[in-house]
Amino acid sequence: MRPSLPHFHCPYLQPQAFQLAFTREGQSLSLRAEALPDASVTGTLPLQTEVRVIDRQQLDEVLPNGATRPVFWYYVSGTDANGATVEGWVNQRSLFIENRRTSETARVTGGEAVREWTFDHLNRMLADFRFGTAVSTTLLLMVLIVPAQFVLAIIMALVLQSQIRGSGLFLYIYAIPLGISDLVAGILWFAIFTQRGFLNSLLVSAEIIELPFIFIQADHMAWMIAIIVLAEIWRATSIVMVIVVSGLQAIPRDYLEAGEVFGASLWQRLRHIILPLLKPSLQVALILRTILAFQVFAVVIAITGGDIMTVLSNETFRWYDPARFNNPSVAAVYAGFIMLISLAISLFYMRAVRSQEEAVKA
Amino acid sequence: MSTEALPNIPAVSPKEPMWDAQRRRALIGVRLRRAGVYAVAITIAVWVLLPIWLIATMAFSTPQDVRAFPKALFPNPISLDSINFFLNADGIIRATGNSIFVALLAVVLSTLLAVPAGYAIARYMFPGRDAVRLVMLSVRAFPIVVLAVPLAVIFLQLGLFDQPFTLALMHTALTLPTTVLVISSVFASVPFEFEEAAQVFGCTPLQAFARVVLPLALPGIAASAILTFVLSWNEVFAAILLTLSNRTLPAHILYNLDKSSDPFKFAAAFVMLVPSLIFIFFIRRYLFNMWGQINK
Repeated sequence: MRPSLPHFHCPYLQPQAFQLAFTREGQSLSLRAEALPDASVTGTLPLQTEVRVIDRQQLDEVLPNGATRPVFWYYVSGTDANGATVEGWVNQRSLFIENRRTSETARVTGGEAVREWTFDHLNRMLADFRFGTAVSTTLLLMVLIVPAQFVLAIIMALVLQSQIRGSGLFLYIYAIPLGISDLVAGILWFAIFTQRGFLNSLLVSAEIIELPFIFIQADHMAWMIAIIVLAEIWRATSIVMVIVVSGLQAIPRDYLEAGEVFGASLWQRLRHIILPLLKPSLQVALILRTILAFQVFAVVIAITGGDIMTVLSNETFRWYDPARFNNPSVAAVYAGFIMLISLAISLFYMRAVRSQEEAVKA
Repeated sequence: MSTEALPNIPAVSPKEPMWDAQRRRALIGVRLRRAGVYAVAITIAVWVLLPIWLIATMAFSTPQDVRAFPKALFPNPISLDSINFFLNADGIIRATGNSIFVALLAVVLSTLLAVPAGYAIARYMFPGRDAVRLVMLSVRAFPIVVLAVPLAVIFLQLGLFDQPFTLALMHTALTLPTTVLVISSVFASVPFEFEEAAQVFGCTPLQAFARVVLPLALPGIAASAILTFVLSWNEVFAAILLTLSNRTLPAHILYNLDKSSDPFKFAAAFVMLVPSLIFIFFIRRYLFNMWGQINK
């Protein structure tokens, strides 16, 4: 028998998400051991099953006004969802039957609402032609954005640590993007790269090109990726920078001075003193940024419109959006998929760092 | 440059010309390095500021100039037409109101919850203290995309969908872990001796907290409240999923982005940008407190 779930509304997030993703609401007809509505269930039949009528009973149903009317119960036999033959009594309401008194066959047309397990939503996500591109684009963006952010953030942090004059001002400037939303960042870079944008203005005014170049269009995928990468580096490097700076401040000055005294170059100090000591901070920042990289959303929509290029969170929204697919179940599958990838990558990072430490110890 | 440190080369004897030359060369090297650091610092600053300057130029140009090509790098003439056009567009005032309401409610809720929680974590050793910190951090790492879809369905079932205060609850839940950790680090930085002294002089623990600790911690608490406001003001994914007719400003703009003209978009970006600029200015001192704490 197909397992069916009680019909309930779960007010907790994770079970709710799971229920959304892997169940669906359906109807199935319960067969009864006796011709009574609350007799024990002997089996269930899915809708539209053809059944054979073996026996029938005519009962009288009492209506609210006291009158009675005849109601038929049928003893039917049919094949349930698992292929087993089940038999039992059903009320005439749940069947389509040509003649109540003489027909030998009937069809199931009604039943009780049930929640049943299903992989339909998962299959629908996997079969969607945008799924593959959404995954590959999201991964590509992550691979391009995260390392560049770390390099830039470490440079920013070193500049701020070098105690130049006005480092307070530089700190404020570098921290500005921290407060800027991804939507705004997307629009800023859209303004630069759009067909009548600043970059084209510059190139045409300087007579480098004659006509404006259209960066953002469906057959310039590499350009769109590059613009999104720039926008994300611009916006989200400050978080990494702040984490790296606070990690740098925790490094004892003696270590750095010792490196300088023994004549280590900047690169040597970075490679052998700063980066190893920064590792815990970098690990936190890496996990944080990776998880956030899977949620890249408004930047992509602001720059490309979200149709000619798509990412996982955009697909989640498209499936959820009442004005488009209006299917929270597939959206929940997408959300679960994003969570699984982020979890897997976080675990991978932690494992990689730990095994590295063990290798050093051994 | 008065602050620059002289290279630490022992001057054996100032009379010997060889040492002098070496010293001068080292000085030039230091100057060059310093100039290099400045060049890098200024390049990065330009990289950060240039897009903001460009969008400000667009926002203060007339819509005709925004559509013009090639574009100018300065608004000429300076005009508020684009911003006026944006602010007078349908639904913008209402969406702004929703955004402010949601952000303020999130600030109030998360501060009210985070002050006692942060104080407890900073001051008391209790069983499971580290577990509490860890659990809060793990909530912070949870993708908002994952939380928003089931939450939207739950709110639909409970009849709470499309109400700004439920979005404020969501934003509170999102920012609470950060807020608790930041506020606990602020409390941890107030010496416990102050509190003890207040109690020695006859304050109850509550009075000691209210009269001694709280005033000292207030700037830090304010900074974390501002951070919460900015996060809520900027948050768009949960906002667009949890609201329909009561959209917040970013959700409203994002949802209508493909139907918007360029002057509208650029003015919208500028208007959303301004509060962030101001707020980051006020909390810049506390940034490292916040993230330094979360780092651990």
